[in-house]
Amino acid sequence: MSLLTLFGFRILLGLSAYVVILTGQISMAQAGFYALGAYTAATATAIWGWPIVPAILLGGLVGGLFGFLVGFPALRVRGLFLVIATLAFTEIVRMVFLNLKYTIRVGDRTIGPAAAEGFRGITYYYENGWSALQIMAFTWLFVLAVLAGFWLMDRSRAGAVLRAVGEDELAAASVGINLTAAKVAAMAAGGLVAGLAGALYAHYATYLSQEEFGALLATFAIAYPLVGGTGSVAGPIAGVLFFSLLIDGLRFLGDWRNLLFGVLIIAMMNLRPHGIIDVGLVRRLRALLHLRRERAYAGD
Amino acid sequence: MVDFLQALVDGVMLGATYSLLGLGFTLIFGVLRRLNLAFGPTILVGIYAGSHLSLAWPGALVPVVAVTVAGALLAGVYVERFSFRALARQAPVVSMISTFAVWMQLQELVSLLSPSRTMPYPSPVWLPAVAVGPILLRSDGLLMWSGATLIMLALFALLYRTRFGTTIRAVADSSEAATLMGVNVAMVGAAAFLVASAVGGLAGVLIAQSHQQVTPYFGLWATVKGMTAMLLGGAGSLPGAVVGGLALGVVETQTLWHFGGQWRDLVSYALLFLVVALSPRTRWGSGL
Repeated sequence: MSLLTLFGFRILLGLSAYVVILTGQISMAQAGFYALGAYTAATATAIWGWPIVPAILLGGLVGGLFGFLVGFPALRVRGLFLVIATLAFTEIVRMVFLNLKYTIRVGDRTIGPAAAEGFRGITYYYENGWSALQIMAFTWLFVLAVLAGFWLMDRSRAGAVLRAVGEDELAAASVGINLTAAKVAAMAAGGLVAGLAGALYAHYATYLSQEEFGALLATFAIAYPLVGGTGSVAGPIAGVLFFSLLIDGLRFLGDWRNLLFGVLIIAMMNLRPHGIIDVGLVRRLRALLHLRRERAYAGD
Repeated sequence: MVDFLQALVDGVMLGATYSLLGLGFTLIFGVLRRLNLAFGPTILVGIYAGSHLSLAWPGALVPVVAVTVAGALLAGVYVERFSFRALARQAPVVSMISTFAVWMQLQELVSLLSPSRTMPYPSPVWLPAVAVGPILLRSDGLLMWSGATLIMLALFALLYRTRFGTTIRAVADSSEAATLMGVNVAMVGAAAFLVASAVGGLAGVLIAQSHQQVTPYFGLWATVKGMTAMLLGGAGSLPGAVVGGLALGVVETQTLWHFGGQWRDLVSYALLFLVVALSPRTRWGSGL
């Protein structure tokens, strides 16, 4: 149950990187948006006493707002330099939370972000007596909503616009696509989804420490869609499954697991450079479905 | 005023090692047009190797330095084969992610092979501090600065005064043109990687003797410092990396003096973000 909930956070994080990758940008800022969403939503329920749903949405909105803001300077750079700029953003967010102190005392407990000691006392689920099943269902409500949203977007004009920008900026601009709008919108959407993921995670974890939201998390966020493939929303899910199974499957190796982990990632990148579910596979699957349908007609 | 000058001097001494890290980054980036995030962890392997030797054989400075550089070279060869040679036909971002995977490997490797997370590193402690007027020049800082300056001079002589250096710069300028002139680009890339790893190993010696200890986080630290130095200097310019490293060192020590230690890393990351996000596009990807 707990594993399914964790999958939910990872899939949301992977999807948030996915929408940015569609426009051909690699962003390491997702971990920063995730941290912003987590701290904001946790502050809303634990300190301001908000109900859970508006708090989660606020976390998403803050993530989206920062995505929008980071989107503008990010327009000027691309490729490896965007990776560095966004990585710096994530680290800046982490450093701010390392220094931020905003606590209240409830009885003998200290609640709120206490700089290096982390954010304690995010007990909304516990106080309201939520079971693990309810937490899982609540998390997956958001996961499914985002999945459905992205799936619809992929088949609409918006999806085509994003992919066109990702394929060839010059060609996209020459057919009248507004590059700025497309890239900033993708970044804001990515920030929103990462913020939601962080907000949900904060309430599941009950304790936040800035150490969790560093370069490693940012790398996982982009590794899910890159290894899973960007052909469809199933890509990031495949990436999450790949990594999660790998991490648990290699547990018997103990401490040596991370060594093999690296080898496997590199092997994957050589075998399927565009991910497990790439555009080609999606096309082939569609063709296969079409064939079957045609055969069905022929049989009539 | 004395505070300011003292912080300035400390910053220049610290920044000289950042310049070395920046030069290592610039060499690899200039020739291969790819980022090696595992550059810091490569040095980490060297420092841990040196630390192990110094525990087994106390007082042996020269062998420790040699083993540190050899360790960094060995790790460098591994990174080059694994993340760059093997992935040469893939997009640069693929190489970058795979260097991240290698980074995790190297960091894990040194943690597993070491008795404790924090390992000691020998320092020539008999050197006295020098006072110039009100300003104190610490011996480890002086050693860092003079060592880094010597290595930089040697590196610049290699790159600008030898045939080998000319081929490296030719490939960095245009690998296609260099290929047409009969330069073996793959070999030059590997050679530049080795030179960068050796420079990184020496920088590691200088930094580790100043800190007198090392933890697995050194890899991240060195990568961020080197990358910032390279980018401050314009990504691809060797003299730029030197200036960038010095500037970063000075900004850090000034922040430390005036605002305190907890803001030091925040300021260097903010600098990195601003430099990359706000500088004109044309600066990226110019030749060495």
